[in-house]
Amino acid sequence: MGDAERGIRSAWNRIQWHLERGTVARAVVIAAVLAFVLVAVPSLVSVYWVKIATAAAIFSIVALGLNLLFGRVGMVSLGQIALLALGSWVAARLFFATGLPFPVVLLLGGLITGVIGTLIGLPALRLGGLYLALITLMLAGAISIVLTHVDFPNGGSGFLGHTEATIEYPDVRRPSIAKADDAYFRYVVVVTVVMFLLGLAYVSSKTGRAWAAIRQSEPAALAAGVNITVYKLWAFALASFMTGVAGGLLAANEGKLYAEQFPTIDSITLLAVVLMGGIFSLWGAVAAGLLAKLLPALLDDWGVSPDFVIILFGVGILQVVVTAPGGLVDQMPKDVRRLGRLLARPLRRGESSPEQSA
Amino acid sequence: MLPTFDDFKPFIITGLSLGGVYAMSGVGIVVLYRATGVLNLAFGAIGAMGALISWTLINHTSTPDWVAYLACVAFGGLVMLGYGLIFGPPLARRDPLVKAVATLGLALILLGLMSWLWPPFGRTMLLPTADWGFDVDVVRVNVTQVIGFTFGVVLTLLVGTFLRYTKLGTAMRALANDREITATLGVPVRRVEAAAWFGSGLIAGVAGLLLSNLVALDAVTLTFLVISSLAAALIARLQSLLVTLVAGLVVGLATALLTPVLLWPTTEYSLSVFRGMAPFVIATVALLWLARRRTVSISRSGD
Repeated sequence: MGDAERGIRSAWNRIQWHLERGTVARAVVIAAVLAFVLVAVPSLVSVYWVKIATAAAIFSIVALGLNLLFGRVGMVSLGQIALLALGSWVAARLFFATGLPFPVVLLLGGLITGVIGTLIGLPALRLGGLYLALITLMLAGAISIVLTHVDFPNGGSGFLGHTEATIEYPDVRRPSIAKADDAYFRYVVVVTVVMFLLGLAYVSSKTGRAWAAIRQSEPAALAAGVNITVYKLWAFALASFMTGVAGGLLAANEGKLYAEQFPTIDSITLLAVVLMGGIFSLWGAVAAGLLAKLLPALLDDWGVSPDFVIILFGVGILQVVVTAPGGLVDQMPKDVRRLGRLLARPLRRGESSPEQSA
Repeated sequence: MLPTFDDFKPFIITGLSLGGVYAMSGVGIVVLYRATGVLNLAFGAIGAMGALISWTLINHTSTPDWVAYLACVAFGGLVMLGYGLIFGPPLARRDPLVKAVATLGLALILLGLMSWLWPPFGRTMLLPTADWGFDVDVVRVNVTQVIGFTFGVVLTLLVGTFLRYTKLGTAMRALANDREITATLGVPVRRVEAAAWFGSGLIAGVAGLLLSNLVALDAVTLTFLVISSLAAALIARLQSLLVTLVAGLVVGLATALLTPVLLWPTTEYSLSVFRGMAPFVIATVALLWLARRRTVSISRSGD
């Protein structure tokens, strides 16, 4: 009896040690990579690439929203870029109208976008997932029509804050501690990390478990006492909030905003990169940000047409849906391991052949 | 200040013809969804590429016009058939949402190809039917518009009859209910699905051709015009063909009739400039009405 108890305890200790070692090691690696990104990247590359990296970080927040929606709850929104535009609009309006500190404006922009997004998602949430996808696609079309005519605030008066009178209008304000491009990049990365921690906190909480139950089976979740509508709404509100915050960051990054920066097709490419990155891990959202902003810039640098990128994303959707539902972050380690095994095979054969012959 | 009835007259014609084409596309979308569970979001992109191919054949080769028009329709049918044959079976058991997302992949591929092969510049598609016309009261009605409206109505009736009374139609309805049981009954499931894909693709081709004449020959515009048809399909809850027809006509009419409303509520932000939002607004209101009672179903179709 005593032996068995001791055995179990030692096994438990070993598991715990493994767990902790794994977690600690991972945390150290992540912190090191983050420190490298924050400190070294802006000084290693040119301003052009710092701007691209900033855009990638901002886009990964937008991707995070959709990643949570699709991967955790099983809902698809095709209007996230429209919500991003909405977030940019609200933030720009607040920047021009008030002297509020930058983080407060980000927060307010996120909250307002969250409320608007929720109101729009409400009618579709009670019906099937397909309806949410359709209604958000229509929303994307509708918002782009409104923005084309209303335009973005540029320091004008009135509710809409847009004026055609001046050609030289001020840029959307950046935080006082991050006026320059490299400082702003660091600022964006910090906000991005905060957003990912928020996402992580939700996923590993009671809410995350409720989402998982809904994704597995709505009737089962309902039977287990999960309030489906509330939790779905909460997920949609959270994704909209994150997108709104990203909109605020984008407004300050671009300085001047135009409706053409938010074409409806981008909502579809967003879905493509989120799927290609991987929807069952938050890292997928990071990969999505890089795929959406860094990859086209790199290919452009090498003289590849942007049309090719769109075709690539289309192929990516089909490939992920049919063969690799886990996306890049799931597939890459597997493929690397497989490649490693493939490369190691001749070596191992060389080692083991004398034994076999003996 | 609202316009008088006379100002609205020409737009009734425009609205009915556009509405007819929206309804036709909506029917194409609903039929495919009912037979295969796939909501084809690439519907607009397929029609757009067909129309562009047709444009190239007319303007840059010596192909007779009618062959070019047929090429557009055939392109729609073949692309959808190809997609259905390749991606239909592996996705057959997946959630409808995943199937719909997969078609977005096709849409992106087609959009990329179109932007690459036909860089955006002002192209126009002039069907000969746009020159033939007659006057109703003071309004000139051209034959493309007549075709748009009548195709919508006739196609809905034809497809409805086809599904109700033919053997293939019955098989499609059975598939919509339960794929496994239908297969057990000896229905050649794959062949029936292929027929649905091909038929729906032909409709996409015709719709693309008509819309390129009625609206504009532009890849992105035509691709996202599918939103109006989706609104119609959505209002019909992806089930009823008749409701799709009516909803399509209503969406087309509402969009067109807002065009002359230039000064209301204000000159700068009149309803006219926001008329493109009509499908979204109508669909949202319809959804609110439909969602007033909630049901949770555990059927395999997942709707």
